[in-house]
Amino acid sequence: MNALEVRALGYRYPDGTAALRDVTFAVAEGERVGLIGPNGAGKSTLLLHLNGLLPEHPAPVAAVHVFGTPVAEPHLTTIRARVGLLFQDPDDQIFCPTVWEDVAFGPQQLGLGDAALATRVARALDQVGLKGFDERLPHHLSRGEKRRVCLAGLLACEARLLALDEPTGDLDPRGRRELKGLLDSLPVAQVIATHDLELVVESCPRVIVLDRGRVVAQGPTAELLRDEKLMLAHGLERPHILRHRHPH
Amino acid sequence: MRRALLEPYQHQRSAIHRLLAAVKVGGALAFVLAIVLLPRAAWTAYAAGATLLLLLAWLSRIPPAALARRLLLVEPFALGVALLSLLQPNGLMIFAAALTKSTLCLFCMVLLSSTTRFSALLRVLWRIRVPSLLVTTLALMHRYLFVLVDEAGRMTRARRSRTFSRDRASAWRSSASVIAHLFVRSSERAERIYAAMCARGWKT
Amino acid sequence: MKTAVATGALATAGLGLALAGVRRTVPPRRIPLIGLAAAFVFAAQMLNFPVAGGTSGHLIGAVLASVLLGPSAAVLVMSAVLILQCLMFADGGVTALGANVFNMALVASVVGHGAYRLLRRLVGEGLRARLFATAFAAWCSTVAAAISCAGQLALSGTVPLQVALPAMGGIHMLIGLGEAVITTLVVAAVARVRPELLLEEAGARRQPRYGELAARGVLVALGLASFVAPFASGWPDGLEEVAATFGFEHLTPAAPVLHAPLPDYRFPGVRSAAHSTVIAGMAGTLVAFGLAWWLATLLTPRRGADAGPGGKGEVPRAPRAA
Repeated sequence: MNALEVRALGYRYPDGTAALRDVTFAVAEGERVGLIGPNGAGKSTLLLHLNGLLPEHPAPVAAVHVFGTPVAEPHLTTIRARVGLLFQDPDDQIFCPTVWEDVAFGPQQLGLGDAALATRVARALDQVGLKGFDERLPHHLSRGEKRRVCLAGLLACEARLLALDEPTGDLDPRGRRELKGLLDSLPVAQVIATHDLELVVESCPRVIVLDRGRVVAQGPTAELLRDEKLMLAHGLERPHILRHRHPH
Repeated sequence: MRRALLEPYQHQRSAIHRLLAAVKVGGALAFVLAIVLLPRAAWTAYAAGATLLLLLAWLSRIPPAALARRLLLVEPFALGVALLSLLQPNGLMIFAAALTKSTLCLFCMVLLSSTTRFSALLRVLWRIRVPSLLVTTLALMHRYLFVLVDEAGRMTRARRSRTFSRDRASAWRSSASVIAHLFVRSSERAERIYAAMCARGWKT
Repeated sequence: MKTAVATGALATAGLGLALAGVRRTVPPRRIPLIGLAAAFVFAAQMLNFPVAGGTSGHLIGAVLASVLLGPSAAVLVMSAVLILQCLMFADGGVTALGANVFNMALVASVVGHGAYRLLRRLVGEGLRARLFATAFAAWCSTVAAAISCAGQLALSGTVPLQVALPAMGGIHMLIGLGEAVITTLVVAAVARVRPELLLEEAGARRQPRYGELAARGVLVALGLASFVAPFASGWPDGLEEVAATFGFEHLTPAAPVLHAPLPDYRFPGVRSAAHSTVIAGMAGTLVAFGLAWWLATLLTPRRGADAGPGGKGEVPRAPRAA
């Protein structure tokens, strides 16, 4: 069973413009897939479909299936526990007064009791390397720490598929390294929408190229990203890491 | 005020800090109520109250300069209206009493807010069954206050670096425009927060 | 002390009504907006509007919140701001909280909203009408809050009414002008950038619950009447009661640090101080009315005039990337 199956997904904005057209792809359990494309391609919009936040009105046939379950009512509660969506701006996602409360939010909504809750939160914070951050205030954290808190919140729900929207955006090099290391250590399936082509090369064996709402290419990362013509045609470029022939 | 937002002293350890938030809030309320109920000329009682507060302040180990600064910040306005009371036959006494009472109450609240984390205060409110809508509003407001103040600061600086006239009218237009854009961005952010809450299972 | 209890009770009742109103009229997806709006008002109150020399005015925001979010949400937002100021910044003792909430959150929001709706009904549709209603409503709300506060001061015996009313009323008639200008400027800017955010779109759909409007109106009227009425027939000497102490720090966001001398309201030829107060009040109201009209006209782009990015130094909004 695939972690994620998207079949002929289409979506129009309320004003009628087409955002996604006939998008089809799959992600196996534990697989890490990069989602790249120029601005406005529809990457974020696509991610919002993975846990049912979009479409606003349910389609007759669910185009997205997560671990075999269609992303539609009445399964949305379980879906949202299984799919962890990391938003672009961590400030949008950390809305509770303290780190502990924020990480606990998801499991709380799932109805966990106090003891189980405490264990989950502690484990999640430990996993992301933020042990002892329980009582910290969100606005005291660095951007990298905020991102990790968001991840902890998703892990606390025991998400098995992570959908990440620009996880390394606006991080300094150290923050980026730490986050990348963290993502590498998580054994769950991941869909990473990003402009950070180096990250894609280093972490995602497979990549999907999206442009103007359509999947224009998908396949092994090194092969596609070396194709300069393809990259330039879709507002991207061949990453430096692939420009040198000699091995490191 | 920015400094107060950052909660610089709330995380210290002292006898006062470690008291349960509920105890501190209850104590503060009781103190304030007592001060208010005292007759005007209860000078001994005022002195006793002041001594108590000073003792608590000393126990809390917060730098006295910081406490004094916060007290001074609001004192001029209490003074301003208390001055109005001078225009009465019994004026001087009323003025002194009003000033003393407000200073004592203010000091009490300054102590409370300096030794208690806001999240702890919110939990107390929650437990005494304050409506969840109000608590959620307070929580979200506190959480995003800093974010919005930052945004407002950035927008103001950006506008200031683009205006070349120093007259008042353009300053007013500029500030008003910042406020308007701040509202628009807050609206949009609120939508995203709602999405983030739903994404983690929030059921309305 | 009686005053503190009374205002506290009225404030709690008003807030309770507002909470119920919000739960009823605001869809779940807009609930986070209320929290954000409270943070927004708080942040907006920090912006400077230079007046003279080194002094500057600030926004209160009750009417702005009313116009943008509706009266119930506005009451909730303003109350939250005041509660935070009290709890975290000791900006007003807890006893004053009831009075502050009553004056600024309840009176200002409700009077402002009422004035706004009334005027809209009178002057009709269109941006200029809306801006005019906003301006005058903002002025009214400021003055109403001041009158309410003066009443409380008098009732508590701290300041006699014949001093408090002209002093508070007078100063706030001036402050109200500032509030009117700022609020209107902001609403005009929002109308330019994102007109769909203005309340009318949402308000048009929902039926006003006259029961709720009436209840709120009665609450405010009761409050105002009970404070001011006992003094209508002359000033009773020597109030012998335990005085409540109010912190007056709620003036902080509103009052520029203008040390205005106590306004002298004696008009030549008019004997009674009370009469001259009333006349001065009416004159002030007419002035505010005229200014509001002028301001609205000024801020409404003329038909065919370029109201685009060049005007008023606005930056065009960048298109949203998917």
